[in-house]
Amino acid sequence: MKTAITGSGWVTPTTMGWGRNHDRFEWQKGELPDITRKTVFEEPYPHFGRLDRYSRLGLSAISFALRDAGLNKWTRKRNIGIIASTLTGCLDTDIDYFDTVMIDGGRTASPHLFAFTLPNSFLGEASIRFGLTGASFIIGEPSASSLWCLRMSLLGIAEGQFEKVVCGLCDLGSLPPYTEYHKRPCGALFFVFEKTPRHTQRVYGDLCLEENGVLMFNNNEIKSLPVLAQKCLSAFEAKDELLP
Amino acid sequence: MKAVWITDAVTVTPFGEGLEQLWQALLAAKSAIGPVSRFPVKNYNAGIASCIDDLAALGGRSMGHAMIQRLLPHLDPVPQDTLLIAATTKSGIDNLENVRRGYPAEPRDVMISAMNVEIHRKLNLSAEGISISAACASSSVAIAQGAAMIASGWADAVLVCCMDLVTEFVFSGFSALQALSAEPCRPFDRDRSGLSLGEGAAALMLMRAERAEQEARPHLATICGWGAASDASHITAPDREGSGLKQAINQAMRTAKCEVSDIAGISAHGTGTIYNDQMELKVFNHIFKNHPIPIYSIKGALGHTLGAAGGIEVAVGIKTLSERTTPPTIGFSNPERGAEERVMPEPVNISGDYLLATNSGFGGINTAIILGRGSFQ
Repeated sequence: MKTAITGSGWVTPTTMGWGRNHDRFEWQKGELPDITRKTVFEEPYPHFGRLDRYSRLGLSAISFALRDAGLNKWTRKRNIGIIASTLTGCLDTDIDYFDTVMIDGGRTASPHLFAFTLPNSFLGEASIRFGLTGASFIIGEPSASSLWCLRMSLLGIAEGQFEKVVCGLCDLGSLPPYTEYHKRPCGALFFVFEKTPRHTQRVYGDLCLEENGVLMFNNNEIKSLPVLAQKCLSAFEAKDELLP
Repeated sequence: MKAVWITDAVTVTPFGEGLEQLWQALLAAKSAIGPVSRFPVKNYNAGIASCIDDLAALGGRSMGHAMIQRLLPHLDPVPQDTLLIAATTKSGIDNLENVRRGYPAEPRDVMISAMNVEIHRKLNLSAEGISISAACASSSVAIAQGAAMIASGWADAVLVCCMDLVTEFVFSGFSALQALSAEPCRPFDRDRSGLSLGEGAAALMLMRAERAEQEARPHLATICGWGAASDASHITAPDREGSGLKQAINQAMRTAKCEVSDIAGISAHGTGTIYNDQMELKVFNHIFKNHPIPIYSIKGALGHTLGAAGGIEVAVGIKTLSERTTPPTIGFSNPERGAEERVMPEPVNISGDYLLATNSGFGGINTAIILGRGSFQ
């Protein structure tokens, strides 16, 4: 199974943006930056401010990845899937929501917050914002590597479920007593995979899934998503050096 | 493409432990929806749900832990190389309630991957596996992905385990969204007024057909086709035209290489909410036109078991095909437009070998699974 990577986008404690406007990728522990509508979207998006923090984080990284792949503008809905890995999902929103339940025996439970107590809510938001009609789901993995979202994405493309897919990971980090379950820095990182890249779009390289489950990017084994992001940017830089 | 068999299917529902108990209760038109005593309901729009009466949280663990403990012993031996896919919307969310209230509780039960960590350990599987969360389509997405992995030769055996609970967290949320019916839900009925919540769990063993034959495992059903698609229109409401569901069904029909006339019955999501049922009927009538295909929903009997719904409904679908009988749609009496002569309040005999099972969920996700009748009777 093989796919071309045509886009990457991220929000981490140290940096946010997309592959084509960065020459390196960093992901270290720290506080996430404030994400405002203007830092992510050029157009008005009144609903953005009403999203929970987890959704804003994931949606922003997806938006950057689609922009990087030249797929953020659309007029007709497209069969593009979205697959995201997470460790703690929307746990912070769950806590915020349940606190509204406890205030007055449930009388003041917030319907707005409840709508975001599913870890896949931001995928729905992204599908609406960018007209993506492919399969969308969240993967919870006990390990921090999050490679299953890449494997499932390759499987979906190989199987013809969708032509393109946005895949990656999204985690806010967590407050006690859940901190110990969060085994990587907070942030979100997404890629765009395409079965057949458009001729107008430069690709970072090819990602292959071998029969033994190993993932190879441009013939290098990939063991985590941040490493894949770094390799993508290095591959682009190397190609640039070859240009006249 | 390699054939994918279901070789084992077990359930835990308010009707008891085991698929046969569930099936007999459905045929007898029983409903498990009744007054909730697990938490105070006086401030909510409804006071009923379908709960497992004697399900208890022990030792600070979630009730979901207890549900899984009941489920797993009913499984035939699970090969060690099986890939586990757990499916849930809110996992052991009862323990988030307990933690916030300051009661002793195991925080890890709240994690999305809590269930697969638990099952992986209990069954001594070689790989940890993953959890899938896609709202009320969680388990049908898990089944579709498991089937795709086997069909493509990427896995030999996949165990899909799904579970969700009736908790105050979820109950209060659906109440706040004005989605709960004060009376037991009435799928596809003109007088329906919302959904009833339920809880349950299911485990389905999917296996490559050749391997299942080699291991002399029963051929309960074949997963012939699968599809998943998003509406891209609203977070909590279905697309009125059902664009995502149509896309998912068409995808499943293509994978299964099925014609409309091959489908003998439809296990619908059928929640009893105004918009879901209207949307589903519109889609089914659009795709199946004048073909007299019976449609049923088991949510009038079991309530809406959220992320477990798809898994439990596929398990019931196995019985539907093997017994060549669709279960009655409990609560249905006054047909919604488009449900006439399709949805019935009593069991219906069917003659074909394929069943379509659909689910839809928040976030606009829709799934379709096409089951083929197994050879094991």
